[in-house]
Amino acid sequence: MLDVSDLSVRFGGLTAVSGLSFSVRAGEVFTMMGPNGAGKTTAFNAIGGFVRATAGRVRFDGRDLIGLPPEKIASLGIRRTFQNNGILREMTVLENVLTGLELDTPSTFWGSALGLPASGRAEREAVAKARRMLAEMEIADLEDRSAGDLSFGQQRLVEIARALVAGARLIMLDEPAVGLSPSERAHLATTLRELARTGIAILLVEHVQDLVMAVSDQVLVLNYGKRIAQCVPAELKNNAEVLEAYLGHA
Amino acid sequence: MRELTSSPALPRVARNLAAPSRERALRRTALAATLVVLCVLPFFVNDYVQFVINTMIVYCLVAVGFNVVIGYLGQLAFVSAGFFGVGAYATGLSMAHLGLPFPLAAVIGTLAGGLVGGLVGLPALRVRGHYLAIISLAVGEILRWVYVHAEAVTFGAGGFTLPDVRLGGQLLGDKGKYYVFLAAAVAAIAATSLLLRSRFGRAFVAVRNNEPAAASLGIRVKRVKVIAFAWSGLVIGLAGALYAALNGRVSPDSFGLAQVLLHFAIVMIGGLGSLLGSVLGAVLLTGAPELLRNFPGLEEIVFSLMLIGVLFFMPKGLGGLVARTVPLARERLFRSNGDA
Repeated sequence: MLDVSDLSVRFGGLTAVSGLSFSVRAGEVFTMMGPNGAGKTTAFNAIGGFVRATAGRVRFDGRDLIGLPPEKIASLGIRRTFQNNGILREMTVLENVLTGLELDTPSTFWGSALGLPASGRAEREAVAKARRMLAEMEIADLEDRSAGDLSFGQQRLVEIARALVAGARLIMLDEPAVGLSPSERAHLATTLRELARTGIAILLVEHVQDLVMAVSDQVLVLNYGKRIAQCVPAELKNNAEVLEAYLGHA
Repeated sequence: MRELTSSPALPRVARNLAAPSRERALRRTALAATLVVLCVLPFFVNDYVQFVINTMIVYCLVAVGFNVVIGYLGQLAFVSAGFFGVGAYATGLSMAHLGLPFPLAAVIGTLAGGLVGGLVGLPALRVRGHYLAIISLAVGEILRWVYVHAEAVTFGAGGFTLPDVRLGGQLLGDKGKYYVFLAAAVAAIAATSLLLRSRFGRAFVAVRNNEPAAASLGIRVKRVKVIAFAWSGLVIGLAGALYAALNGRVSPDSFGLAQVLLHFAIVMIGGLGSLLGSVLGAVLLTGAPELLRNFPGLEEIVFSLMLIGVLFFMPKGLGGLVARTVPLARERLFRSNGDA
């Protein structure tokens, strides 16, 4: 579904991602790990259209994503969350999730301004959909709270709900478990597994070990912008290079 | 900026118990009562007060339109006087030169405001913050330069007098104008309110809060900005059209920097991102100078003190204050229990 080949991103003299290749299949949870500065988020940003790739290719269902603006990439069925919080602080939780339905709410400009019935109907359907999503994420009770007033962990869940609500086919989550309690993490793991089962591809950047182990089908380990290993989670512990990247030379 | 003042929402339990339909009915009743009062108002006031009230309506529209850009979209663009002037000039000139009747001229003025609004939105795609503020002030001054120097069209620095303002052949006095203004303002403010509670209003605030996040959700940030500017221009252009009819005169000095400051003060005192606040701010800041007419010099002092007071003690302005004390008046982009 997502095919990344020879992706490189350079900022001036710094090579943040270098010759990275991998693919994510439908129904698969694919995790990128690596020490800080390894280039995980940069790779994310290049796929999402927020950073221009210096070289290489990113294809989604055979369509080249390089050079497309983020909103166009979103319209192809890709959603992401942000490492340092992409929440819309001055909106309520429900409004945040509704904003995730921007492309799925067919109300027109004049229809909205004039209060035409069709736009009202579209709006009510969006609200119902957003509420179902909140219920699935077990945060329905936060609906009317201002998103900026929530705890960091709750904001993460809202952002994930917002990414999921539009029925994207590829979800990219940048360190979703940061700030979550163990029980919230366990719930997130179940949610991700269930999503994958419905055929959604999930690309994850994550450090939290128990989540990575619990949900990943494939783990790719990056260091200095390069792939140093790719394997199933269980094999991680036996990989010398991975241990070296994280723990230093033995 | 908001943490301390934002009340931790009415407890959910209380809100759930208060049947939403009851709250909605109350809100509708309050709105209807206000409208009735507004409709009979002219029977109780003299011509002078009527003129002041008409002026208030014009500034309500200016503030609502301006708030869309600086409050909801969060762009520091001081464009209001520019749009105001375009609306007034387009209306007045199409009456004076083309002999069009006022209603048609007002539509032209409104559309001209919207068009200029969209065009002025274009620089906002590239610059923001202080730079946008400077550019937008420059646009206003350039427009004023045009009014002064394009004498063949605009009648130059002295301005011009409008032909009679008629509706259906009937000459409109201040009371007649009042009903026209009221209808136009109610329609424009209602449409703005509906728009802000739709996905378009959410897109405005999403762009204000976090542009990358908005883009990642499929929001076309540039398009959203142009739409917000154009809508702002449309509403303020309508205000300009009414302003031309109100005074029967249009001249360049009505649309200078002093006007920008007044508009900004109205929106700030009313509250950024509050339509109710914009209306209250406009009424207060248009009314107060009239009350202070007899005390020369006091006007500026009261004006400044109000601005300082609001900035220090009510960062969310009058709108925020009212929302805290009267839960019924709370504004949301989206109201979970239906609309008002």
